[in-house]
Amino acid sequence: MSIMRINVGPIHPSTHGVLRLVVDVDGDTVIDVNTHIGFLHRGVEKLMETRMYMQNPSYTEKMDYVAPLAWDDLYVHAVEIAQGKEVKEAAQYARVVLDEFQRIASHLLWLGTFCNDLGQMFTLFMWTFRERAEIIKFLEDISGSRMFYVNIRVGGLWKPLPKDFKERAYRLTDYIEEHIDQYPEVLDKNPVFSERTKDIGKLKLEDAINMGAAGPTLRASGLEYDVRKAMPYYIYDKIKFNVPTRSEGDSYARYKVRFEEMKQSISIIRQALDNFPSNEDVVGMPIKLIGPQANPEPVLLSHELPRGEGIIYMIPDKQKPYRIYMRSPTYMNLSLLSHLAKGHKFADIFSILGSLDVIMAEIDK
Amino acid sequence: MEIQKEALLTTLEDMKKEGFDYLKGITAVDYKDHLEVVYILYNTEQKKQEILGVNLKDDESIHTVIMLYKSADWLERELSEMFSIKIIGRDAPRLLLEKWNGTEAPLRKSFAWGNEDYKRQQ
Repeated sequence: MSIMRINVGPIHPSTHGVLRLVVDVDGDTVIDVNTHIGFLHRGVEKLMETRMYMQNPSYTEKMDYVAPLAWDDLYVHAVEIAQGKEVKEAAQYARVVLDEFQRIASHLLWLGTFCNDLGQMFTLFMWTFRERAEIIKFLEDISGSRMFYVNIRVGGLWKPLPKDFKERAYRLTDYIEEHIDQYPEVLDKNPVFSERTKDIGKLKLEDAINMGAAGPTLRASGLEYDVRKAMPYYIYDKIKFNVPTRSEGDSYARYKVRFEEMKQSISIIRQALDNFPSNEDVVGMPIKLIGPQANPEPVLLSHELPRGEGIIYMIPDKQKPYRIYMRSPTYMNLSLLSHLAKGHKFADIFSILGSLDVIMAEIDK
Repeated sequence: MEIQKEALLTTLEDMKKEGFDYLKGITAVDYKDHLEVVYILYNTEQKKQEILGVNLKDDESIHTVIMLYKSADWLERELSEMFSIKIIGRDAPRLLLEKWNGTEAPLRKSFAWGNEDYKRQQ
């Protein structure tokens, strides 16, 4: 049979951004996938070299627009290390709470759109967005902004926490826990969902490590590697939580890992709230164009972002980064697509791509 | 850890045997008088992280490490495109991020802003 070449994207609803795939198919079987990226390349690293430290969070926020707080937190933490500034104790707890809420919101959005990619179930999309809206509302009340929060400052947060912060956060965790427990009812027992995810896009553990898979994709193949456990930052070493792993490495395993992660995040938030310091002072330094001078020692920092390990390698100059490298987790995961899709049917590409949870803005930088 | 350019492959082979099986990232820093290529490696069993720095003083090329770590594929392509560093030992792949002619390196300090010569390839 002759090989046909099909072009997908760059503007396509299932590519989650501007991504172009050139797919060679034999009948309906995928022979090869060529991934073309770079449509959203805006030179973030170069732009950040020309701006003062605290002008840059507006760039890091746009790295991953589904979880802006996570990248923002990672960048400001790297600046704090470079400037030798301590993060206030209460601010560490507050950042963990906000980060974990952001993780749940990001996973909820992923789950809804993943089900849409599988061509069905708008029900679940509506459910996940209903829960996500509550988290967004909560984060909005803290930061004053709905999408890009920009509320992390050197040493803490932008402004004091609202008086009912703890009470609302507890209520929100209860609300989310109650609602996400309904999801497996419609997913695990759904034959269409199982057929389209089980044994699709299998990634062996040795391949996952050798090819640099990150985050839930790596853990779904069986490696128990989570930065919060392996290289703890903030207060994660004081918190008890599990790192969910699976051994199958298929799309279904990646869904299960993310689902379990949401439950672990709820537990982390509750523990952080239980042990929240009595001195609730979280306010960091106000933004000044000329801030404290940074130490020229290179900074290498990893955080566990919702999509995996985000790495910042920064050579600080006095007031600006001399060079900043940001490795995004989905950059590594998208490079796996061609390996994973070979031999599957054409429609399975989108099950695999969806399960990798790519965000093109952080891939193209 | 700083190593010589010639020792890159043997050092990485030894490190991989020691358990550094996960290559997290490759990048470079332009220090104006020389370039430094940086490898971020992780040992998944002993949970150790190591940075490997290679100084490129005279010529601006480095050997590929793709036969040891497949994750180097996109990382090396990004490196060669952003810093115009030649990767020896693998075919020159198509441009990954930038769609222009790729003759200049955007992340080098010598990069001129707003130069109209950077026409898009197509």
